[in-house]
Amino acid sequence: MRKWQLLIAVIFLVAALFVPLLALTDYTLQILFRVFLFAALGLAWNLVGGYTGQLSLGHAAYFGVGAYGLALFSKLGISPWASVSLGVGLAVICAAMIGKVSFRLRGPYFALCTIAFAEVLRLVAKNLPNVTGGDVGIQVPQLFPHSTIRCFYWSGVLLTGFALALSAWIERSRFGYYLMAIREDQDTALSVGVNAARCKLWALLISAAITGLGGALYASMFLFIVPDQVLAMDISTEIAIVAMLGGAGTLIGPLVGSVVLESAAEIFKNIFKEAHLLIYGVLIVVVVLFMPEGIVGTISRKLAWFKKAPSAPFATAAPVTAEEESQRTAINQ
Amino acid sequence: MSLLEVKHVSKRFGGLKAINDVSFLVKPGEVTFIVGPNGAGKTTLFNLITSVFHADSGSIHFEGRDISHLTPNGAAEIGIGRTFQLVKPLRNLTVLENVMLGAFLRTSSASKAEKEAAKVLSFLQMENVANLPARGMGLPTLKRLEIARALATQPKLILLDEVVAGLPTSEAIKLAMLLKRLPEWGISTIGGIEHVMQVVMRVADRVIVLDHGVLIAEGVPQDVVHRPEVIEAYLGSKYKEIAL
Repeated sequence: MRKWQLLIAVIFLVAALFVPLLALTDYTLQILFRVFLFAALGLAWNLVGGYTGQLSLGHAAYFGVGAYGLALFSKLGISPWASVSLGVGLAVICAAMIGKVSFRLRGPYFALCTIAFAEVLRLVAKNLPNVTGGDVGIQVPQLFPHSTIRCFYWSGVLLTGFALALSAWIERSRFGYYLMAIREDQDTALSVGVNAARCKLWALLISAAITGLGGALYASMFLFIVPDQVLAMDISTEIAIVAMLGGAGTLIGPLVGSVVLESAAEIFKNIFKEAHLLIYGVLIVVVVLFMPEGIVGTISRKLAWFKKAPSAPFATAAPVTAEEESQRTAINQ
Repeated sequence: MSLLEVKHVSKRFGGLKAINDVSFLVKPGEVTFIVGPNGAGKTTLFNLITSVFHADSGSIHFEGRDISHLTPNGAAEIGIGRTFQLVKPLRNLTVLENVMLGAFLRTSSASKAEKEAAKVLSFLQMENVANLPARGMGLPTLKRLEIARALATQPKLILLDEVVAGLPTSEAIKLAMLLKRLPEWGISTIGGIEHVMQVVMRVADRVIVLDHGVLIAEGVPQDVVHRPEVIEAYLGSKYKEIAL
């Protein structure tokens, strides 16, 4: 099942690399860039929110820090790509600090804490006009001087590919098992020697690095950013919804979620004008009600059910051997 | 030399003295059972040994080292495995994957972990359910799964909390026969048990009796069950007749 998922995703991504060779408008490519950008962000979020089960609703913090990192470091005269790496580094440092505090909390308190940190960063960016330009915004350097929109599209596809490869590797490694163990039952995880605090923090650091890189790409495409755009709650929820719609904790869920959600949002915007938000909302409600495990999660469960139904509900291990039976009667007498 | 040494340990929760000045030793390769009714402090004692809680006073030594202020995962690392009274399987993973999780403590390679997990599963006679998800399993299998996961961490000491609670007698005794073989693997066992005396008598080298957090008797099972205070406090009149 998992191999199929991976195969489909790889074929899809390779095919996606050739899309710009078709004569597409810049507008279409820009939408497709957004699809892949959010697929990558969803995959990054999935490491923390999916596999580890820690509902982060503050990923805009790392997204925004990556974006502002690029803008601010290049304002200091550092070359754009070096600024991108510094911005990613800064996002990781933020994640270390936020994670250290917020992972002390469990469940909804953790989610609230992540929201709070993202909001704090947004308000800081709004109220430091000398540094960040405040509400007026700040200029972001151009990362690709030639055939800009195609390059953004390709970098989006590559980032998704990288995030997918990383997820696939983590899923089958000891680290991945530990993350899933923490999601399923943290006390059990501790009892087999899992350092839960350290594992959660590492997952967040990796996630923040990819999210920061995504933020920098996004900022450079618009050439200009304001706090309410890149540090907004909307970004946090959109990242989480993309992953949950596709299937949190599944390998290709976020990719599927992003393709469905981002294209649906765009199509509805064109067809239904102002009503598109309503339909977007209904779509999410329908998925949450009827497919709580997301699109990929639900499909793979249905397939597994067809494959080896019915799984014995009260399967018991090992029949009693004659020797044990005689021991048992001996004890009972 | 003793493997585990519990010295004058006390733990209180608010006004309740859950563990009151308890001391005992566990020798390598020994099967010890802690017996006591519901609320006697068995689980609290296990949580103290595995550093889920820290003792208010007294100390716990493992292989001569003070482990009173470790973390739960640190306790697993130095070789103390445990199971939970309420089974806690990772429901969305298969039985084999659940056990692999334990094996990952000693290796980072998935294939080596799988080999170790398969070995433990065959010891516990669970090969036939290895690739099924833990979600659909009945209690007997889940109880064994708890033990398998703990064994896969290759512990020197394993703490089994209410290991046979809720099992039919036949299954409880089958499991007990398997536990009796743990010393062959060089593993000492501390079992916590409420009342299934058939298992205790059959398997335990030593028995410790707890009552309201106080250790009231300690010794070989045949001796302990004959002590009047134990019979009175724990085993009830039925066993008193049989025992005396």
